[in-house]
Amino acid sequence: MRRSFVVLSTTIIMMVSLVALKDRAVISERASNLLGVDAPKEIPQLMRMGRISGPDFHPFDRQASAPQQQPLLLSDATAPVGTASAAEVADEPPAKPSAEPAVVAQAAPPQQAASSQQPSVDESALRYFASRGDKARLQVEISRLRALYPTWTPPGDPLAVPQNQDKQLESMWQLYSEARYAEVRKAITARQAAEPGWQPPADLNDRLAVAEARTRLINASDLKQYETVVNVAAETPSLLTCSEVDVLWRVADAFGHTDRLQRAGDAYMYVMKNCDNPAERLATIQKASALLPYSVMQDLLSQEKPMPDGTREFESIRDELSRRFVAEANADPKLAIAPDYLAHLERLTETKGLASDALLLGWYNYGHKDLAAAEKWFAAARTKEDSAFASQGLALTLIARQAPQQAEDIMFKWRDASKEAGATYLAAAANLLAIEPPVILQVDVLQRIAAAVVKARDVPSAQQFGWYARGLHQPQTAVQWFETALAWKADDEPSAYGLAITRAQLNDRPGVAAIQRQWAGRSTRIADLRDTDPTQPPSRAVPMPSGLDANDTSATNGAPEVARRDLQEPVREARYLAAAPREATPITRVRGARANASIGCTSTIDPAMLSPSAALSRGWCLMGLKRPAEAAAAFEAALVSSAPRDRQDAAYGQSLAYLQLNLAGNAAVAAIKAPQSRERALSLQTAILAKRANAAFDEKRYRETILYLDQLKQIQPEQIGLMVLRGYAYLNLKRYSDSIRIFEAAASTGDRDALNALANARDAMAHPSPG
Amino acid sequence: MNRRRILAAAAGLVCLFLGGITAEAQQAMVKPTDWLAYKAKFLSPGGRIIDDGNGGISHSEGQGYGLLLAYLAGNAADFEQIWYFTRTELLIRDDGLAAWSWNPGATPHVTDINDATDGDLLIAYALAQAGKGWSRSDYTEAAAKIAGTLLDKAIVRSGGRTLLLPGVSGFSAADRSDGPVINPSYWVFEAFPVMNALVPSTKWQELFDDGHRLISQIQFGPQKLPADWVSLRRQPKLADGLPFEFGYNSLRIPLYLMRGGVDDKALLARLHAGMADASSSIRLYYLSSNSVKATLDDPGYRIINHIMACILDGSVLPATAKSFAPTLYFPSTLHLLGLAYVTEKHPECL
Repeated sequence: MRRSFVVLSTTIIMMVSLVALKDRAVISERASNLLGVDAPKEIPQLMRMGRISGPDFHPFDRQASAPQQQPLLLSDATAPVGTASAAEVADEPPAKPSAEPAVVAQAAPPQQAASSQQPSVDESALRYFASRGDKARLQVEISRLRALYPTWTPPGDPLAVPQNQDKQLESMWQLYSEARYAEVRKAITARQAAEPGWQPPADLNDRLAVAEARTRLINASDLKQYETVVNVAAETPSLLTCSEVDVLWRVADAFGHTDRLQRAGDAYMYVMKNCDNPAERLATIQKASALLPYSVMQDLLSQEKPMPDGTREFESIRDELSRRFVAEANADPKLAIAPDYLAHLERLTETKGLASDALLLGWYNYGHKDLAAAEKWFAAARTKEDSAFASQGLALTLIARQAPQQAEDIMFKWRDASKEAGATYLAAAANLLAIEPPVILQVDVLQRIAAAVVKARDVPSAQQFGWYARGLHQPQTAVQWFETALAWKADDEPSAYGLAITRAQLNDRPGVAAIQRQWAGRSTRIADLRDTDPTQPPSRAVPMPSGLDANDTSATNGAPEVARRDLQEPVREARYLAAAPREATPITRVRGARANASIGCTSTIDPAMLSPSAALSRGWCLMGLKRPAEAAAAFEAALVSSAPRDRQDAAYGQSLAYLQLNLAGNAAVAAIKAPQSRERALSLQTAILAKRANAAFDEKRYRETILYLDQLKQIQPEQIGLMVLRGYAYLNLKRYSDSIRIFEAAASTGDRDALNALANARDAMAHPSPG
Repeated sequence: MNRRRILAAAAGLVCLFLGGITAEAQQAMVKPTDWLAYKAKFLSPGGRIIDDGNGGISHSEGQGYGLLLAYLAGNAADFEQIWYFTRTELLIRDDGLAAWSWNPGATPHVTDINDATDGDLLIAYALAQAGKGWSRSDYTEAAAKIAGTLLDKAIVRSGGRTLLLPGVSGFSAADRSDGPVINPSYWVFEAFPVMNALVPSTKWQELFDDGHRLISQIQFGPQKLPADWVSLRRQPKLADGLPFEFGYNSLRIPLYLMRGGVDDKALLARLHAGMADASSSIRLYYLSSNSVKATLDDPGYRIINHIMACILDGSVLPATAKSFAPTLYFPSTLHLLGLAYVTEKHPECL
């Protein structure tokens, strides 16, 4: 019960914290990538596009009329035109065998060349290139035209618009060069209306189509209309070249946002394999790393080229990449990343000392169960810059390293930073309360934990407090906590059970019955609860000083605490001080009855400053407020009273206080500080022995338990509950026949606990557990 | 070139007098000089229609009107120019409808990626007309695509009626607690039969008929006028959070009814009585208080009342209505649409 809460909350906190450090979008991408299916659409020519440079030079340039065009790209623009053939052939890349003569001899003339000796060659592209100062393409165009029209001579000054040339077409090219595409379209349509059958040059048409597609793609990409991006790219493959790296990025991005990470990877890989611009290559890696998972990134990174100065191409972003990959490993514990990245990040952290880097390493090591390393890195992060995240990491590590007290201490000031931080704090606190053997906690620590639990209305922690209080022999406090937990969550069965057994302990039979009614049919163990001592005489009310609750510890009613030893229920009772929550709102209604009596000791006063009788009153008041340590101190001050009756009271009170603190030895000492009445002495002694027996049992000192029980038997007949305790002590010492004998005797009264115990013992004898 | 234009104009004139106009023989219902004046003021070189009454933004409605007017003016070149802007800047939604709002000063320019179905409808309608009239299969295909998407996503059945939602998201019964919410002035009646020819479906006729019925039923206040935004969750009532008025949207309703060939003089009479003042200006109303929001005396607004008056009692359009000079984008657009209608269907009013 406690453990499962602890484990669950720890897991939740860890996962949430890990996610918080990571780009959520990336995780969802990766998740969807795992589910993703290849897109039905192909980008047909993406992988077939070779290295093509320049935005205006694309296959259509070559295909205009003659199918056998060569993509000649002359580096020397001043090559004499007349000797073109030989020179051009020589300049061709060897892969493309020269087909020039074939072209020149080609029989089928293009339509424009058919008409006359001086063919009306469309020189508009020529002028366009010339107007842009693009000598290289100008030369290519010249070569192309000369190949088409061998009798044609290129103009001396391409920029001069010759006579009888198509001025309208010139102006269309001009508009195109100014990117005034709407007006080009308008001019084309106007001319087609005026000259039926006129077609713009395929060149111009195709360039317009590409420009238009580019505009639509970029607009759609800016507005996150990813399907449009992909569709436009598919329709216009010529856009997908190294001269349009921005378009390629947008297409990759669109794929990435529509669950097609494989395609996105392909697009980025195209750039890495084919494109040269260093800045674009670097940017491609950066963009890809925001989108693609680790394994795909390694493929892209394998395209790293050596730089002329000997450095590695992606050196400048290696820091970023290391961080990114470690973060991904943090989000996915199953991912194994290359140790290089970890080593790089560790070096980086040591040199630059960034808290965020230390945090990444902390989470990595925590996720990979290297807790010592995790602690080191989280501590380093906190030293550099304390933050909720760093503290959370450290706290979780400390909890895993069985140091929840430190964890609680660290997380306390960050508990309100976020929901995760609050949950981490409560987990630390719960772990702290659940420790066995329980930890001595300072009053202020317990109070702050209580305050946090109340503020968060955290049911498991409130329940934990109930068990804790029980262990400290503060059943009233335990009742308050269990009731609080149930007020926050009426169907919390463990809290109901805790409340039931504590009420039973306090002999609140109507209370127990009420719970049993509420939980009838819903909880076997609640239903099975029985009042343990039906044979016990009703509790004798010892005259109470004001301020002390009539239902207080076992010392007042003479019945030792009933130990319900259910082997299945690992309820342990702690031995240390518990401070009751004071500012808990749901508890005040119970405390209200004592409120009047408590007035006068809520403030902190040094009892030595008071008169002995005032100290005595204060002591009882503090006992009522469940502050036995302070009460003991107050009673100590009252022991110097001149009145014997006051001294007796003070000794008695101090004894009770020490019993509450479970310091039975001190209680024994206190009891003799002033002679007590026989009744009080007997009841004190009984209580002390019973506590000692229980304490010994808690600490697995079973022979000692039996010793105390024997002593107790001297004073009064052994009650059923104690018989059961004795039986369990025998059982744990593997003295099966003895334990069964005792249980049989106890069970003969019909006591349910005894019957259960007997069944357990018989079971244990039949199947002894090892060790 | 010039000869061809004169020939075309002559043919148009002849057809006018004969009164039988078919879509195939497209002639200029908008006078070339009027179109020239309009586009000089409202058409940018990049092809966008500038709404100068609205901070100079552009929108799918304006593009639709621009395309339609260019077609009615018989100007294929300008049509292509306007279409270029429309398809590269607005028609980029994943579903193929148009983003409705575009601002030259914003980055990105599209400030609202939502569509407005009257804009989508106008664009598709103009494309369909132009595709048929000028034998441009690319226009026809584009129109059919939009029509199909509207059918799938913007036309719904609710309360026994077929409705056009103002946008594909945000107006349906699932999207609003008072949904479905409609804008009655988005019913461009003349477009529905054209859409039906592109993507046949009984819904287009249902839309036509149910729209007519709805506009007849929706009567708010003593003026008995429709509202710009109406919730049809139960009985027609004003929509939450939207302007509660007979406003700039609704004043188009009678124009669309008339252009769409809805023959309902009683309805026109009621609308005219509610929205026209003595000088044929249009009165806009705040429907909660029944107070006048604005009195619009621009000739482009008043022509709507003039046309209604002509249909109802035969009064001829005054000179101010017959002559066009561009003022602001919206009334200028309505002016030309009104004139085109009269030219085509009621030349006796001129």
